[in-house]
Amino acid sequence: MAITFKELSYTYQANTPFEYQALTDINLTIPDNSYTAIIGHTGSGKSTLLQHLNGLLRPTSGSLEVNGQLITPQTKPKQLGDLRKEVGFVFQFPEAQLFEETVLKDIAFGPKNFGKSEAEALEIAKQKAKLVKLPEELWEKSPFELSGGQMRRVAIAGILAMAPKTLILDEPTAGLDPKGRLEMMEMFYKLHQAEGLDIILVTHNMNDVANYADNVVVLEGGQLLKTGKPAEIFASPEWLLAHHLGLPKTTAFAQELKQRGIKLPSLPLKEADLAKQLATMIGGIGNE
Amino acid sequence: MTAIIEVKNLTYRYDEQDKVPALNNINLTIEAGQWVAIIGHNGSGKSTLAKALDGLIEPEAGSIKVAGIELTSQTVWEVRNHIGMVFQNPDNQFVGADVEGDVAFGMENRGIARPEMVKRVKAALKAVNMSAYAKHEPVRLSGGQKQRVAIAGVLALRPDIIIFDESTSMLDPEGRQDIIKLMKRLNEKEGFTVISITHDIDEASLAQRVIVLDDGEIIADQKPAALFTKGQELIDIGLDVPYPERLKHELAKQGITVPKKYLSEEEMVEWLWQLLSKN
Amino acid sequence: MNKFLLGRYINGDSLVHQMDARAKLALSIYFIAIIFLANNWVTYGLLLVLVLACVALSKIRLGFFLRGVSAMIWLIIFTVLLQVFFTTGGHVYWHWGILNLTQYGLVRGAYVFCRFVLIIFMSTLLTLTTSPLEISDGLESLMNPLKYLKVPVYEIALMLSIALRFVPTLLDETQKIMNAQRSRGVNFGEGKLMDQIKAVIPLLIPLFVSAINRAEDLATAMEARGYRGGEGRTKYRQQSWHLKDTNALIVFGLVTIALLYLRTW
Repeated sequence: MAITFKELSYTYQANTPFEYQALTDINLTIPDNSYTAIIGHTGSGKSTLLQHLNGLLRPTSGSLEVNGQLITPQTKPKQLGDLRKEVGFVFQFPEAQLFEETVLKDIAFGPKNFGKSEAEALEIAKQKAKLVKLPEELWEKSPFELSGGQMRRVAIAGILAMAPKTLILDEPTAGLDPKGRLEMMEMFYKLHQAEGLDIILVTHNMNDVANYADNVVVLEGGQLLKTGKPAEIFASPEWLLAHHLGLPKTTAFAQELKQRGIKLPSLPLKEADLAKQLATMIGGIGNE
Repeated sequence: MTAIIEVKNLTYRYDEQDKVPALNNINLTIEAGQWVAIIGHNGSGKSTLAKALDGLIEPEAGSIKVAGIELTSQTVWEVRNHIGMVFQNPDNQFVGADVEGDVAFGMENRGIARPEMVKRVKAALKAVNMSAYAKHEPVRLSGGQKQRVAIAGVLALRPDIIIFDESTSMLDPEGRQDIIKLMKRLNEKEGFTVISITHDIDEASLAQRVIVLDDGEIIADQKPAALFTKGQELIDIGLDVPYPERLKHELAKQGITVPKKYLSEEEMVEWLWQLLSKN
Repeated sequence: MNKFLLGRYINGDSLVHQMDARAKLALSIYFIAIIFLANNWVTYGLLLVLVLACVALSKIRLGFFLRGVSAMIWLIIFTVLLQVFFTTGGHVYWHWGILNLTQYGLVRGAYVFCRFVLIIFMSTLLTLTTSPLEISDGLESLMNPLKYLKVPVYEIALMLSIALRFVPTLLDETQKIMNAQRSRGVNFGEGKLMDQIKAVIPLLIPLFVSAINRAEDLATAMEARGYRGGEGRTKYRQQSWHLKDTNALIVFGLVTIALLYLRTW
């Protein structure tokens, strides 16, 4: 589903001595069926922006349209009830939201709040537990008996159980080991492709952006700095450095090659692309 | 080189009924001034080992000697004078109400006189570049800043050994680089023995020695470059695959013959240059 | 972003802000005690002058103090009315059954009102000019003699300062958990009473679990940093007693003497 921001601004604690403008005049469209990465320095307004997407915050001025629903400063919280299930929000360290007696019950919590019966919710819970590869022997255990990585998968299953059309991921791999990180990012990518789930990823990891995203949004100081395809965003390493943004490893390596005098036909984002380019260049002398 | 940590036949079980112990017959010697990285997937026993070295858990069997002192329940407080630990969660080790207060906490515990505390707090904050934040409350600090304060707290006590227990895993890339740089300075310039438990490849590559734990046992103990030749296998033992290895893997897929030995990024650039110059 | 004014402490550098917390704590408590020496207009007047002088010295707007009174206004009115209608003496203006509106009753009612104002103003002054941490340090210092009665004074003081340090952190976490549960369909503060109470469970349990995990981590860190209990610890944070604190004690002492004298007018 498409999401459009029009001149959206948000001020925390407006009209008090503590007021703080977190977002200024955001004009942005997130296309339907996309995997969008939102990047920006800490304090750039990313989490404020995200919280508008599922109705946790309403704009101070301007508007946004999510799945056909228009949200303005006048929108009442009650009208945003459904939005919370259509846009699933996986917070950072989502395992902090677990509380039920068993894993299945926790996954079923969301659907029950949106009207599913106990039986229906449990069925959904089982499906989603399978989807995130949680072994069946864990299903009746207390979520607090699980390892950190398993608890995280329970939390994610709980969000998926509400059958959202869009999934917001706020640094979903924070604190995981490299294997865990890879498995998690692959799982979300599969969901994006197989179930057509729109993904909005907030991350500091530029490799993930290069590997998975087809659309990038750059925020700085509460304003939209740039949007575009990853290749466009990562085209100028100088620009990225000036804005305190990192580079995907491959792009950084390509810079090092350039400095050594090796010119590449185009700027690669992933190892596989770089390898292809190098292979073609080396191909001129044949394999050793 | 003198051995500053000697571990013999160390075994530890969280629960008496656990079949596989968290630490299984660990034998390990660490020389003074070394930087040793300990890696392993989550649950391999890395943190358990760190806690055992500081006497925070009591082993089922085996012995630990730190700076020549045999670790027992009587000597544990003396041993802790030689070891400073920086933990994973920046918030959950910050005791003081403000930065200065937290740096002073360890010294207060040891009954150090106030004039001396004031001196050391100043010096420690300067060493980690946090002097401007002396009166800040923790809630106003970033994760990286809090970790720097934790390190200052360790430095104020002048230990010989600093153990970093996944101290960078909850930080953003900038914070992580910051702390890793500090670790490097502390080891290379100030001569601290550094033990860092980590998943981060950049951190591990700076160590002189990488020890791999799996199911409570040491399965490898080698120089980073030697270990990194394992390439794709590294991800199973809890480490990222270094970039040069990833690229080699992709080049091999394209039919290019790649050297078996580990190349650093600079070496990789050189090798490619040589390869392309022959054209 | 949560610039929460814990205990309504307002930063400042007035004379009162700079005073030692121990003096402020002791004098606040002492003041509440000597209020009961007042029994006529002159004595209440004197106490009011004292309080207003302190308020002026704090350079904090009177509005904050009045807000403290208005917060308790229903309790105050209730107590005053009790005095007014159930105390007898002097000229009777009106009566109905057990209720009497007498001259004496009105005067007593007015005195009760005065007492409330004095107590509220003084305790508000304490919390507005003394940071929670200073109060905690002050309490620890004043409680020190209790260690001879085997009261774990050091441990209590450390508990208090750690609790204060974590309040903003826990508030942030509460906000995060509330947002996470809202995103799963929980509506806090809406619906029938039963529903509102049930909505608290997905907030309290995670907070509890998180707090316990934090406590465990913190205890491990404290032990690694050499904490073995209160004995033998030195203090980094200092409190310094100055001339202004002694002067304050003297002033309150003089007021007490004046009260004792003026009581008999």
